[in-house]
Amino acid sequence: MAPPTEDTLTKVSTDAANEFVQSFYPALENNRNTIASFYNQPTAMILFNGNAVADGAAVQEIFVNQMSPTHYEVQSFDCQIVNQTYPTPTSTGLKLPTETGLKDMSILVLVSGYVRFGESRDLPQRGFSETFLLVPNPSSDGPKGRRRKDWLIQTQNFRLVV
Amino acid sequence: MKNGKGSRGRQGTSDRGGIRKRGAATRVDREGDLMMDAGSARNRGGKKARGESGRSGTTSRTQAANKAMDAIQRAISSNSDSQANIRQSGRGSGLEQVMVRGWKQSKAASNRDGGLESLIAFLEKKLSTPDSKAGTRARITKSRVEGDALIVSIRPELLDRMLQLSGFSFAGAPLSVHKFDRSANDLLDQPMLSSLSQNGTSPSAADTKAKMTAVLGRRYAQQTKLLDLSRLGSDPDLLSMGIFGSTSTESKFFPALMKVWELNFDNAAARREAVESVSLADNQLANITAVTTLAQTIPELKNLDLSNNDFKDPQALIGWRWKFRNLEFLDLSNTPFSSDPTFKDTMLKWYPKLRFLNNVEVRTVEELAAQKKTPIPVQAPHFRDESQIAENFVRAFFAGYDNDRSELLNGVYDKHSTFTLNVNTSAPRAQQTEPAPWDAYIKKSRNLLKINHLPARMSRAYNGADKIRELWTSLPATRHPDITAHPNEWLIECYPIPGLPDPSGQSSTGVGGLLIMVHGKFDEISGTKVETRSFDRTFILGPGGGMGGIRVINDILCLRAYGGHEAWAVENQPAVPQAAAPAAPLAAPVAAPPAAALPGAVPGAPDGYGMPVPGKPDAQVQQEQLVLQMSSKTRMTLQYSEMALTGNGWNIDVALKNFEELKTQGTLPPDAFLPGP
Repeated sequence: MAPPTEDTLTKVSTDAANEFVQSFYPALENNRNTIASFYNQPTAMILFNGNAVADGAAVQEIFVNQMSPTHYEVQSFDCQIVNQTYPTPTSTGLKLPTETGLKDMSILVLVSGYVRFGESRDLPQRGFSETFLLVPNPSSDGPKGRRRKDWLIQTQNFRLVV
Repeated sequence: MKNGKGSRGRQGTSDRGGIRKRGAATRVDREGDLMMDAGSARNRGGKKARGESGRSGTTSRTQAANKAMDAIQRAISSNSDSQANIRQSGRGSGLEQVMVRGWKQSKAASNRDGGLESLIAFLEKKLSTPDSKAGTRARITKSRVEGDALIVSIRPELLDRMLQLSGFSFAGAPLSVHKFDRSANDLLDQPMLSSLSQNGTSPSAADTKAKMTAVLGRRYAQQTKLLDLSRLGSDPDLLSMGIFGSTSTESKFFPALMKVWELNFDNAAARREAVESVSLADNQLANITAVTTLAQTIPELKNLDLSNNDFKDPQALIGWRWKFRNLEFLDLSNTPFSSDPTFKDTMLKWYPKLRFLNNVEVRTVEELAAQKKTPIPVQAPHFRDESQIAENFVRAFFAGYDNDRSELLNGVYDKHSTFTLNVNTSAPRAQQTEPAPWDAYIKKSRNLLKINHLPARMSRAYNGADKIRELWTSLPATRHPDITAHPNEWLIECYPIPGLPDPSGQSSTGVGGLLIMVHGKFDEISGTKVETRSFDRTFILGPGGGMGGIRVINDILCLRAYGGHEAWAVENQPAVPQAAAPAAPLAAPVAAPPAAALPGAVPGAPDGYGMPVPGKPDAQVQQEQLVLQMSSKTRMTLQYSEMALTGNGWNIDVALKNFEELKTQGTLPPDAFLPGP
């Protein structure tokens, strides 16, 4: 099989990042019971302002039970391919490069925007920067009744920067 | 706060020295230019007076004066610093005039120019038919500001289209667009100048300006940083100028006065320094329309006295809703609005730092501090390095990026490395900063929100050291702060990640590496101009053939307006668990401050250092205690101990480890240690 062209790689990676950004932040705002479905299991590391969170379920628990309504505004984001042939774990061991397809890439995403903690528009807009590493979804089926996500969060680092 | 109230008491005293330096009497030069630097010739080479405008030498003074004259002419004759004067633009040119309101409530209103440039660009874009070619794009060549309205002149055929823009949203605020009434225009537009000439007192703009300067000088108390603009209507000097003879001069008066005030400062910093308090008490104001320019001229105001005016409701003050972000004291006593049941809540919402309203404390210092807290407490950076690879990389990277980018690329980038940059042009910014333009970067910016076409996404990605070099040599020179000397200006986090590509092909199932996230700032030097910007930059390092056996796999950079570094200052280190719990849902397990007995007196420790003292924040006490512990364990001075702790996110274990490493390397200077054995 011929290696994928630069066009295809760019399209697949940027579309993936776009879909992720456009669905993850809305979920943090008002679809919090779906938050865990964005995370791989296990995750490598999840940090919010330097606080480590165990996994996607813990992130969801925090947002559902402890966070006031929060408004995110993504103002800029970009992505890069990290590994075109990410070794996704399968039932028979790690996927080898020869077994991978186009959607087996891992993707680095950097997001910049502002967040408002609380409902009032009068509250301050805090600038944030967030780094994600997305990896291919190892499972073949999605959560019940929802479309399967092709990529999941392996690592996430949120920081208020303004 | 006492300044605001005290203002009225001071009225009429003779010692209100005016705008002056170091006690020198106010002097006004031939052209009516206030000489802020009176006496600076004597002082040149010596200490500079605080807030000195920096002007010196007659040449620059004359130039500045000429510039000032142009500006004041414009301010007085057109009520704005836009170029067009309605008297020339409106008549006989066959143009239609349209009044645009609502933009002062937009987010763009906080721009350097009050949002005018983007508003005009917005209108031009909306006026241009989608199929019009570049050459036939609708233009707004004449415009001016009148209160909260922008009055623009357009070709008659654009009028219908223009009026349809009413209700369109501009930067988050709905616009209202109406045809400008020509007869009303003529009345309003009577320039102050000619009106003053009719009174036979002020033959020229220079004369008007000189008089206004004198009025301002009389009403400014440098020591208390108070600009007292109360009871303007009964000011004999203003009355003699005929300012309040007609509504037209009255409406132009305050903007002109503000313009004259601005002209007395050479730079925004000196202007900010000069005033903390303004009184507009006793001015019979029904709303702030006439004085709204105060928010542009003195945006960092702390104390504002608006008492004894006629504001009826929040609508009367709405134009200042997003302004005065540092306001701590606000007096609206004796205004109908202050008996409104929503009064207090509204003002608290509008002004996040407000502490006193109508002389009553409405927020304590503690409440203010609690308000700043985020639901996610800010912790020290998570930095989990391997054999100091990340630390060495970050130090070498930013020094190399500033000094020799090509060398840096040779060292740790290879033909598989990827670099992209994106610009967040609308990022929140630190207060008191003005955004620098992005021209040098914007054509390379790969903000995927805006760059939607595949070819553009491809051409803005730089793969391989050679392509990256081509880009980097075209980007402006930078200067990042020294990491060791200014650790608090940086936030660096790092941890190992698996699953990276191995270009050597030895491991087909991926290799481990490091994810490094850096937030900070840099200065950009182009010619004589220095712009400060903030950035977020994420790297992925993997094993490779570069220096130190590593290579950069990914380097992704986000540029944004300078946003300071307060956001990552650790909020509640080391948090007392029960105190932090309610406000801190995400509180990670944090070691409680060791309750170990404090070491004995440390040489050089000030009295009460490390001890709780009324008024000293808990966080500071805890930090001081950590510094004392660090010092007792390392025998380093308090200063070096504190540096070691701040450099390691106030984690004493990490700091001690770091100390041992530095000590082994012998890089600590002798004066880092306390004298004695």
